[in-house]
Amino acid sequence: MPRPSVATFLERFVLPLVAGGEVHVGRPLTSADLARFEADLGHATVPLVAVDEARTEVVAELVARPPALVLEGDDLALAAGLHDALVLAHPDADGALVTDGMRRRIAGAALRMVSVPLTRDRTRVLARHALLHNLLDLGRNDVTVTWWTGRARFLGQAAPARLTAWKGVRRVREEVARAGFDELLASPEVAPVVAALVRRTPLTLLLTASPVAPPLHWEDAVFLVRDAELARAVAYAAIRPEDPRAQVAVPARLAAAFEQMLERTPPAADVRAVAAFLVHLAGLLAMAEAHLTSPSARSPLLSAVLAGGPGAGRARGLATFLALPAALARVAPTLATPPGLVAEPAWQRRWQAFATQVMELVGAPLVDSLAARLARHLGAT
Amino acid sequence: MALEHVAHGQARFMTPGVAPDPRGIVLGRYLLLVFPTLEGVVSWLRLYSHESSLDELVAGLEIVRVRTPLMSREMILRVPAVSSYAADRAGRLARLVGGSIYTGTAKHFVKYRDDRSPYGYDAVEIGALPAGAELMVHGDDFTQTYVREGEVSLQRLLFRLSLRRVPGAARLGPDDRADLVLAVARGLGDGVIRYLWRNRCDGAVGLVTPRARGADLGATLAGDPSYLLVRVRDLPERILELFLGTPGIDVFRPITDNVAVAVGWAHPVELASVASLLPADTYHVFWPGDRVDLLAGPLELSRLADLTRVDLELEGGREPQAGEVRAPDPVAVPLRLAPASGLARRVSATLVPLAQTAYFKRLVYLLPPQALRGLRVAVTERGIVVVAAQDLDVVPLGTLLTELAPGILVPIGMEVVPRVSPEVLAQALGHGAGVLTVFTSDGPPFQLPEAKLAPLERRTVGRLEADGVDVRDVALAPPGDPTVVNDPLGRFSLWGFPEPEQKLLGE
Repeated sequence: MPRPSVATFLERFVLPLVAGGEVHVGRPLTSADLARFEADLGHATVPLVAVDEARTEVVAELVARPPALVLEGDDLALAAGLHDALVLAHPDADGALVTDGMRRRIAGAALRMVSVPLTRDRTRVLARHALLHNLLDLGRNDVTVTWWTGRARFLGQAAPARLTAWKGVRRVREEVARAGFDELLASPEVAPVVAALVRRTPLTLLLTASPVAPPLHWEDAVFLVRDAELARAVAYAAIRPEDPRAQVAVPARLAAAFEQMLERTPPAADVRAVAAFLVHLAGLLAMAEAHLTSPSARSPLLSAVLAGGPGAGRARGLATFLALPAALARVAPTLATPPGLVAEPAWQRRWQAFATQVMELVGAPLVDSLAARLARHLGAT
Repeated sequence: MALEHVAHGQARFMTPGVAPDPRGIVLGRYLLLVFPTLEGVVSWLRLYSHESSLDELVAGLEIVRVRTPLMSREMILRVPAVSSYAADRAGRLARLVGGSIYTGTAKHFVKYRDDRSPYGYDAVEIGALPAGAELMVHGDDFTQTYVREGEVSLQRLLFRLSLRRVPGAARLGPDDRADLVLAVARGLGDGVIRYLWRNRCDGAVGLVTPRARGADLGATLAGDPSYLLVRVRDLPERILELFLGTPGIDVFRPITDNVAVAVGWAHPVELASVASLLPADTYHVFWPGDRVDLLAGPLELSRLADLTRVDLELEGGREPQAGEVRAPDPVAVPLRLAPASGLARRVSATLVPLAQTAYFKRLVYLLPPQALRGLRVAVTERGIVVVAAQDLDVVPLGTLLTELAPGILVPIGMEVVPRVSPEVLAQALGHGAGVLTVFTSDGPPFQLPEAKLAPLERRTVGRLEADGVDVRDVALAPPGDPTVVNDPLGRFSLWGFPEPEQKLLGE
């Protein structure tokens, strides 16, 4: 088998990974391959420019002035590591002639490739997100071919023509099922690779609404909410104009990660930043109901997602998310209200009505508990 | 010593008909205020009426002319002792004007309390009244009996008191001028009404005849006593000054619903506090010079506007037609356009002569979109009428028109004389909702239905022929989710995969 070139890798794997399409997974890449790819990058201008343009289009949806993105060695390493992780889900990597040792070596190589340094540089963060923004949407079309005497399953591969010929005579039936992120990258073998990968692109984790996403570590992502433009993009991605439960799903996930953060020993400034961001999200949800006839009318959103009391199908972190403004009002009052609401009396009344209804629905004990946990970090009582 | 001080809590008294009130002050059923002359009574009434309402005392109030055994005359004012607070006020005012105050119930009245005896006084000895004596008062060191000589009616006293001129009271503030009453001699009636109407003074008019109230009235009002009573609202100051200086016109200021007092004058007694003495079915007009007119009330007045005569010129027997001014009723004064005296109004429309149609068409190309949408036009025989929803400041053609009243357009800088109200003008013109009446300086006014006005943008563009073209979809196809395609690896592709180098991971 010929050795893959960087141009082929960019065209067949990286570009479809960024822009959508068929992501071809072939022979596992070694460290030597990666070094060769990096050395040959300058000779693969055409696919390189195509990848960068595709990444710029992705970033353009987030920021007004996308920075100039140039695929670098780190990006290439992340893509190669992901490629090798996907190799482990390849049907040919699970045959009788493949030993566990081989698979461990591939997983180890993948982990080493994705273990590029973490970054807080805005351009690099955007570049990595543009490269991996489809990570959690990766899928595979599995075809099951059934004919009159047997059946065969092809994972991410087309069925051979000989099996699908004479469909009528042989009563051939093809069923296509899509395997998602869970089946491709959630196996214990590649879980460390994926965890390391998503840790290097926290923006992707913040922007995704997928329920299968790995847990978020706010300590890695808090610098993003300090960037007003990125924070706005994250907020708008989190609040989706869908049914009430979907609307609060992402904020609840972010609040659940915030709960975990409070169990650790984060810097107080990080706690403040995340808390302020979550209050901003709550403010957006409240202002989305500013069209209600009366500013003090009961919130349909809260009635839908908090009805039934504690434990009645509430998303994890939802109660924390909604109770956070009330808890902050006791610990850090300046963070308890989104800035700017005071300037508009109607918004202020709506926010107060929203907060009052939250207090009724989540109950004072939860707010007390959250306030006590916040006080430990923020140094107030 | 004929009196002794009453102690706190004392319950038994020598004086009949007195008892302590809740404060412990000795009080009878009445208070007796003794004055040397009638002027004292009037002074007391004047003071008390401005401090408190006399209405609560009127029920038992009596003004009696009395005589002492030494044949000297005094005036006694008897008022009910409604409370010791009212009695305190009455006593304070009585002492101020040289009178004295006593309290009691029937014949014996004892001195009311003062600073020396806060709970009042009680008589030491009560004797029988001499024959013919009506009542006896017990003072500090005397007792005095009185024989009743006669009674003075308070109502009569009120009507006989002369109004007094108040310096500077003729200048009324806006609040005072909000409601005024004019008494206008009949001969001046038409002129005053026309004058008021022309100056847009709202009001109501009635012809009143005072009831005869004695010889004095007959002497004052020789001949026909009736006059016009005009109730005007928000009379401008200049007109008030004019009326005050015009013989035959008297201006009154309403004090209550049924009392009016001449402007610049005041009644000695506050008339608002003696409303119960002034019957509600009578309207009282207090003139200077002891004259009080009693008019049958409540006043039934008619709208001043209905008494205004509007005379319009009859233009032959032309039949009323749409697009022209309907022939008005027989009139004597023609409607004319005259230079306006007030501030310039905003330009609402313009009448573009048909000769300038070409210019107007050329102008349409230059108009901004908002003007195109906001302008409405109608082409008539008299010209092109262009009406704007807001200010029409983009069409510098024709005769600019301003809206005198809703739908009534006159050339800017002009107004219709006589300056009748818009309602009267509209009525005279046959103008109504949905009609546009346009006055021009070069002919009679004309009318057109407002429905004939069409938005300018619809009138300007005729039917356009447009070629149909194919639409190309140049939108980017939404990117699909990336799908993993497994290329064939071969059976031994994983063989020989190198062991990863042992180095610290970059975390």
